Amino acid sequence: MSAFAFASPAILIALIALPAIWWLLRLTPPRPKSEVFPPLAILATVLKRQETPANSPWWLTLLRILMAAALIFAIADPVMNPRIGSLSSGGPLVLVVDNSWAAAKDWQRRVETADMLIDDAQQADLPVSIVFTADATHDAVPGTAAAAREKLAAARPQPLVPQRARTAQALTEAFNGLRPGTVAFLTDGVAAAEDQEMMADLASLSPADLRLIEGDGDGALALTQATNNATSMSVTASRLNRAAGQSFTVNALDQRGRTLASAPLSFAVGSGTASAEISAPFELRNDFARLSIEGHATAGAAHLLDDGFKRRRVALLSGDSGNEMQPLLLPLYYISRALQPYADIIQPRGSDLSTSLPDVLANNPSAIIMADIGRLPADTYEPLQRWIARGGMLIRFAGSRLAAAPTDDPLVPVILRRGERALGGALSWAEPQPLADFPPFGPFAGMPHAESVLVKRQVLAEPTPDLAERTWASLADGTPLVTTREVEAGRIVLFHVSAEATWSDLPLSGDFVEMLRRLVQLARASGAQTTSLAGAAAVALPPYRLLTADGVLTTETGPAKPITPAPGQVPVASPDHPPGLYGSEDGFTAVNLLPPGTELNPIDTNIAGLSVTRQGLIGREAVSLRPALFTIALLLLLVDSLVVLFMNGGFSRLSRAGRSAAAILLLALSPFALSLSDARAQDAKPGDEQALERLDVTHLAYVITGEADVDRISEQGLEGLSQFLSYRTTLEPGTPVGLDISKDELAFYPIIYWPISSTAPMPTAAAISRIDTYMRSGGTVLFDTRDQISTLDGVGALSANSQRLQEILANVDIPPLEPTPTDHVLARSFYLLTSFPGRYSGSPLWVEARQDARNSESELSSSGDGVTPLLITGNDFAGAWAIDGNGNSVLPTVPPDDMQREYAYRAGVNIMMYMLTGNYKADQVHVPALLERLGQ
Amino acid sequence: MASIGQIVPQTPGGEVLARARQRAALVPDCMVEARRIANTVIAGWHGRRKRGIGENFWQFRPYTEGESLARIDWRRSARDDNTYVRDREWQAAHTVWLWADLSPSMMYKSTLGSVSKESRALVLMLALAEILARSGERIGCPGVMEPVSARNAAERLAAAIMHAPQTEGMPDTAMIRGSSDIVLIGDFLDDADRIMERIAPLARRNLRGHVVEVADPAEETFPFTGRTEFTDPETGEKLMSGRAETLREDYQRAYLARRESLGQSLRRLGWSFAFHRTDHLASEALGAVYGYLSGNPSGMAGARP
Repeated sequence: MSAFAFASPAILIALIALPAIWWLLRLTPPRPKSEVFPPLAILATVLKRQETPANSPWWLTLLRILMAAALIFAIADPVMNPRIGSLSSGGPLVLVVDNSWAAAKDWQRRVETADMLIDDAQQADLPVSIVFTADATHDAVPGTAAAAREKLAAARPQPLVPQRARTAQALTEAFNGLRPGTVAFLTDGVAAAEDQEMMADLASLSPADLRLIEGDGDGALALTQATNNATSMSVTASRLNRAAGQSFTVNALDQRGRTLASAPLSFAVGSGTASAEISAPFELRNDFARLSIEGHATAGAAHLLDDGFKRRRVALLSGDSGNEMQPLLLPLYYISRALQPYADIIQPRGSDLSTSLPDVLANNPSAIIMADIGRLPADTYEPLQRWIARGGMLIRFAGSRLAAAPTDDPLVPVILRRGERALGGALSWAEPQPLADFPPFGPFAGMPHAESVLVKRQVLAEPTPDLAERTWASLADGTPLVTTREVEAGRIVLFHVSAEATWSDLPLSGDFVEMLRRLVQLARASGAQTTSLAGAAAVALPPYRLLTADGVLTTETGPAKPITPAPGQVPVASPDHPPGLYGSEDGFTAVNLLPPGTELNPIDTNIAGLSVTRQGLIGREAVSLRPALFTIALLLLLVDSLVVLFMNGGFSRLSRAGRSAAAILLLALSPFALSLSDARAQDAKPGDEQALERLDVTHLAYVITGEADVDRISEQGLEGLSQFLSYRTTLEPGTPVGLDISKDELAFYPIIYWPISSTAPMPTAAAISRIDTYMRSGGTVLFDTRDQISTLDGVGALSANSQRLQEILANVDIPPLEPTPTDHVLARSFYLLTSFPGRYSGSPLWVEARQDARNSESELSSSGDGVTPLLITGNDFAGAWAIDGNGNSVLPTVPPDDMQREYAYRAGVNIMMYMLTGNYKADQVHVPALLERLGQ
Repeated sequence: MASIGQIVPQTPGGEVLARARQRAALVPDCMVEARRIANTVIAGWHGRRKRGIGENFWQFRPYTEGESLARIDWRRSARDDNTYVRDREWQAAHTVWLWADLSPSMMYKSTLGSVSKESRALVLMLALAEILARSGERIGCPGVMEPVSARNAAERLAAAIMHAPQTEGMPDTAMIRGSSDIVLIGDFLDDADRIMERIAPLARRNLRGHVVEVADPAEETFPFTGRTEFTDPETGEKLMSGRAETLREDYQRAYLARRESLGQSLRRLGWSFAFHRTDHLASEALGAVYGYLSGNPSGMAGARP
């Protein structure tokens, strides 16, 4: 493998010129400027490093010599491992080619190597026999070189393990004593089961020359096993080349080939196997369809997953809520302990089956396990049966409740006799019964005999003709222990014993775990669906998608034959059943190339009395070193240039230029830096200042209607109320704010006063929506129709303003309203009030009807802490509150009464207090009672 | 890129002499200040503007007791009641040793300088010789020429130098006897301490010295950049600098520190120190040295400390 040759060795004569180059280089540049300098002694004191500048430094010269040598060598075109030709002329050339999965990676080079050998054979006029080990048929009869080449061109790497012994046998038969000349074995390097036999067969051919042509074996990397654990999927991989530590990435892909998760896979030095843990939520893991190693597109490095790999979701239900302090007496304890490693367990929260069962069904579990439930609530039978019919699996355990249950339970696979059968005990002749062997059908087939299990009590099935075939396990005396019934796509399984250890030892034994595991595995991973495959164990599955040798799934099923999966057995790939997915789109079984636990070993071809010439593939080894040498020369040239630059002081000038360039760059960048800092400072939005000002002090706000006189009165009224608040209360509001409800921010204000004016323009829908949002988020709008006086005459008719209010509120989700009750917080939040007059008196103040009164669940009030989101009055508050610049009232009250104005202010104060304190004031009512209770 | 500095051949004596004459013509006669006139003083023809031994009348002064009666000028004394003595002006010649460094390092000339350092040093030396000879001083060159007092001292000095062997960094002072003036012209690139080691014995021998450092501008400003290999013209030693421009400041600091230290040491000896760059006019240095020699350092414009 270490052969080395030059394509044009004549060029190497140029190496003679190297000493001349050496001499030239010593004399030619870099020559320094030569200066006579008399004060050399002085200069010598300041010159720190004395050079001997008569010649360029030896290392520089060496560098250039190396450069020249590299160039000469590059032109001479050295080639690593040139092909060695010359076939043995004794007989036909035999090519044994491994076209297994491990050869897929460098298949092209293998073909080239074989092609080269065929060329040689053609030149030597030798017949060629070419066989492929992974093919189903082996035609080893020697033919012409052209025929061999055709066969070679037609051959493809197969996603299979080579059948070397069969191949060698075919060769032996084909040659039948004829002695081949050269036997070249292009191996993939992976040991197979019958290598020794094959080598022996090859040796028995007694060829003149046996050559073993190997690739680098790096491609031989395989995923051998994948297990779905509780929190992660663990993947085991094996490799051939064990020398160095290697790291790969294992990707988990879904059906469409998208990567869902990945995990590092690290081989330690000298170790042939490694494992990776792909951590992902189990819902995601259930979507895994294929595992592959990144950058290794071979069939071995791909691992197909089928439904069997999906973790089942199992719901546990128990009729006995039990005592948490004594878990060993709880039936679900054993079941959950047994299932935890294999399935995800759903335990309903409540013990009320009428609510927990629908919850469980909504989760669509793969299986539901019910331990000792005699009767279900009547309305749950129907959905549960529907779920089973759609493919669900119900596993029931007997118990005292089930034994006492009426016999017409539809969710029991067999007809049960009332009561249970006790085996052993004082009044019974019978002894506790062990289990019989598991029958050869059913999911427990193949399980070893359960030895240590004794059943003391059980429920009994009424004998029916088909009882035997519906029994998956029975006691030694033949009474069924596990019975089953298919219900359309689903299945009901009954254990005739309880799930805790009182009736039998079964829950304590390891068989219990295995039985539960198999049962749950039997359940459809996706819960209830339309069809079921898992139950039909004996159905032959046609090939659905097949894996190519490159690790890609293809729909070309070719000559692959259907598989009949045996329960509890992992199907093994063979030429008839190449690896892939078998089944249909709805459910399939994965057949992987390598059985679980396979380890890749290097092929052992050492056999006594057989001389083997080892050789590499061409493509790889015949590597021209020319590019590398040219690169080296170029790099040396760069180094030389830098050195010369440095010696001539180029860098000092560069650094000067660099300094000025840096300064220029800095200057050019400084505006950006400035603007950057500006940008940082300016995250403020326009209007922030105003917003902050509004937030510092509470402001009263009113809606600008667009009518100048209404807006003026609103402002003056709120100003008057603000002043009144400042005088009488600790609240000192800022100046009133007029709001354009279509665009101003409303959230700053606890209450918005909205004088309704029918002549003002109708607010837009968006504006009303904003008001609605404001009310929903806890704000309050005080609507004032100011029409009390105008409705005095015609009581029945709505005023124009009221109509407008109705229009505005038509699309707003308003709660039910009521006139302020006398015990409402509004009536006593500051002053004790009985009415809420404004300019007019008489109109009630409408507030949201209280919850306790109506028991309504209004969303509005809950977000506002019980504060009504809107107040409606007709009393024209603002008119009563309005003051001018001198503090005089602007409008007279109707009738003119100063007390009414005073009460109007008090109403305003109460409203504001109510707005700002919410129900706190209501709670104040209870303070005496609370204090009394505290013993104060 | 062409190198900045180069080594030039030695300047021919005749040419230097001609240039020196031109320079010297710009400078008035130089009388060396005679503070210490020991036995080197011999009669000369040049008046010293003070009384002493000489031929020319200087002044009449009243006779004081104890003077030789022979000195009384009776003709003048007869004119009035006092007795006068005729004083004569002192006429004396001084020995000035001139020396220029002609070592290989002086042959250096950079593109920034107008002439090589050696050329400038020779011009300065010969110009001084010309000026001093004009004043009747005795001119010598240590290790090359004994002091002579002649009008054509400059020519003789030039001829002597042309035939003299190459000197080293410092003059051979075996010829110097007694106290006299010495003018040293060179680049003095050695360590200041080493130079002072050579100069200090001269100072102890009562020599009054004037040191002129001639430097090429390239040596002072260090205009080199990039990868540069520096060669010492004297030792042939080589230095490689990857990035010469990075050395400039350090080098200048060291270079100026050396000059400063040399200047201070010389001044501590009472010697004068002047430096001169070859891209400046030779007259500047000449004026400076002239000032120091005539005891009037600020007398000439262009002199530097």
